[in-house]
Amino acid sequence: MPAKLVVEGLTHHYPDEYTGESVHALEKINLEVQEGELVTVVGPSGCGKSTLLNILAGLLPYREGVASVDGIQISGPGSDRGVVFQEHAILPWRSVAKNIGHGLELKGMVKEEREARVQDFVELVGLSGFEDKYPHELSGGMKQRCAVARTLCADPVIMLMDEPFAAVDAQTRITLQEELNRIAIATKKTIMFITHAVDEAAFLGDRCFVFSARPGRLKAIVDINIARERRIWADMNADDEFVRARDEILRLVREEVSVAVEE
Amino acid sequence: MGAGATMNVLATASIAVQRRLGRQRIRKFLLGSIPFIVMISAWHMNTVFEWLPPVFIPAIGEVWDAFFILQEDCVGFGAALMLDNSCLMSTHILSSLGRVILAAVIGLPFGIAFGILAGMSRPISKILEPIGIFANSISGIAWIPLAIVWFGVGWMTTLFIMLNTIFWLMFFNSMLGVRGVARVYEQSVLTMGGSRLDVILHVYLPGAMPSIISGMRMSMGFGWRALIAAEMIGGDSGLGFMIFSSAEEFKIEEVFLGVIIISIIFLATDHYLLKPLEKWTIHRWGLVWKPT
Ligand SMILES: Nc1ncnc2c1ncn2[C@@H]1O[C@H](COP(=O)(O)OP(=O)(O)OP(=O)(O)O)[C@@H](O)[C@H]1O
Ligand SMILES: [Mg+2]
Repeated sequence: MPAKLVVEGLTHHYPDEYTGESVHALEKINLEVQEGELVTVVGPSGCGKSTLLNILAGLLPYREGVASVDGIQISGPGSDRGVVFQEHAILPWRSVAKNIGHGLELKGMVKEEREARVQDFVELVGLSGFEDKYPHELSGGMKQRCAVARTLCADPVIMLMDEPFAAVDAQTRITLQEELNRIAIATKKTIMFITHAVDEAAFLGDRCFVFSARPGRLKAIVDINIARERRIWADMNADDEFVRARDEILRLVREEVSVAVEE
Repeated sequence: MGAGATMNVLATASIAVQRRLGRQRIRKFLLGSIPFIVMISAWHMNTVFEWLPPVFIPAIGEVWDAFFILQEDCVGFGAALMLDNSCLMSTHILSSLGRVILAAVIGLPFGIAFGILAGMSRPISKILEPIGIFANSISGIAWIPLAIVWFGVGWMTTLFIMLNTIFWLMFFNSMLGVRGVARVYEQSVLTMGGSRLDVILHVYLPGAMPSIISGMRMSMGFGWRALIAAEMIGGDSGLGFMIFSSAEEFKIEEVFLGVIIISIIFLATDHYLLKPLEKWTIHRWGLVWKPT
């Protein structure tokens, strides 16, 4: 079966029109993501993870290399690829419920139909009672949960998530991770999930892409062979496969961080 | 009735008023009226002590009376609405108001629309920005002589002057407002399948609202000033015309009356239109800080 998402020889430079120098963000990235697969991406800060995600979302034009979905080259944004942005992109002028239902509204779904679905996602991310609040009235973690629900509710085929759970408390994060796992089982969505947390990368990923320090290269791919149904935090520390994968990712990331520090 | 009882009645009344209107609002109102109370007292004291003669500063009562004297010959509501010349006062007020409303109804939406387009599109801004800077360099009222040559004295001239002022101020404010909206909001709508129009309506318009509202404030402020100036020189009615022609006839109380009516109308539009708009948009959305 051909891969859902294919990236070949993708290289990206950010020009700087003031200094004339350019930042080399990505170097010859080759990767494939299968349909229904959840891959996690880890790597040192500034190695180009968000850059890759922006290119896949169609928000950043690229010149060298190819990125394609279902064999069609990416040339712009589309509702097939939903994004949870690193800076929580919830619209300040829309209430929580209207933010979460925004994708359905853009698709033209009628209000009555929308409301029931929105309510499901409000409950899923634990924002019940805050439906009519505006984003500035939420805490940082609540904003992030709202952003996740906003993208989930729009029901894209591919989800590109950029550190979506970074700002929520440990307890909520565990809930959301298990919830995302459940969604992955139920919806068979193709998901690319960027994170800094190594245990999160091992818990969620079918595979984990480890990136090197800038310019970002794909340094290693760690396979995590745990059936999705068995992925529950309570069992994980006793799971040999999880522990192995986590330790290996940690080792690979540590090498890169020390490289970055030595520079 | 003793002093104690009077105090009691007053206290009860004040509590009742506070309940009805809310403490905060009364406080705000009282604080805001302090400068006016000081000004009015000084004005009245001038009449009592005759620091400056009444030809310069009329008595408050005279200004009050002038309003009714000007309206004296008016034969009814219908005549007032038809801007009949017998109803001088209401005709002046209504023609100024009419011009302001007309100019606002045309100038504000077009200014906002073109401003948003210029904010999001390089080619459009390249076409409109230079002409806008050109138009702004010649302040609104400097167009008056030319406008009189083109349109003669009357509505067209005043309208042209106001539109010139309102449109371009609104245009620049909306354009800058759109440019200040974080890109990620636009991206989030685009990645959910939104169209350009969706981005305009759901992102640029609300995102630029702080600028748009301050643009409205500015354009209505400068618009009024331009209108008054235009009416003075190129008008045949209106409050500006009234102030100017009364001054020529040394009817100082009518000059004062005109100035006071202009400021009352202006305060009222700000209070009943712009403030609520602000409250229900940018304050509600947390886009601007409320001073404490
Ligand atoms: N819009 C931009 N213009 C110029 N340079 C940029 C831009 N965005 C990112 N960069 C640069 O590209 C490099 C990669 O940035 P990117 O945001 O992709 O990193 P990241 O891996 O997501 O980091 P983090 O984990 O901290 O979010 C960085 O060095 C950054 O300075
Ligand atoms: Mg990033």
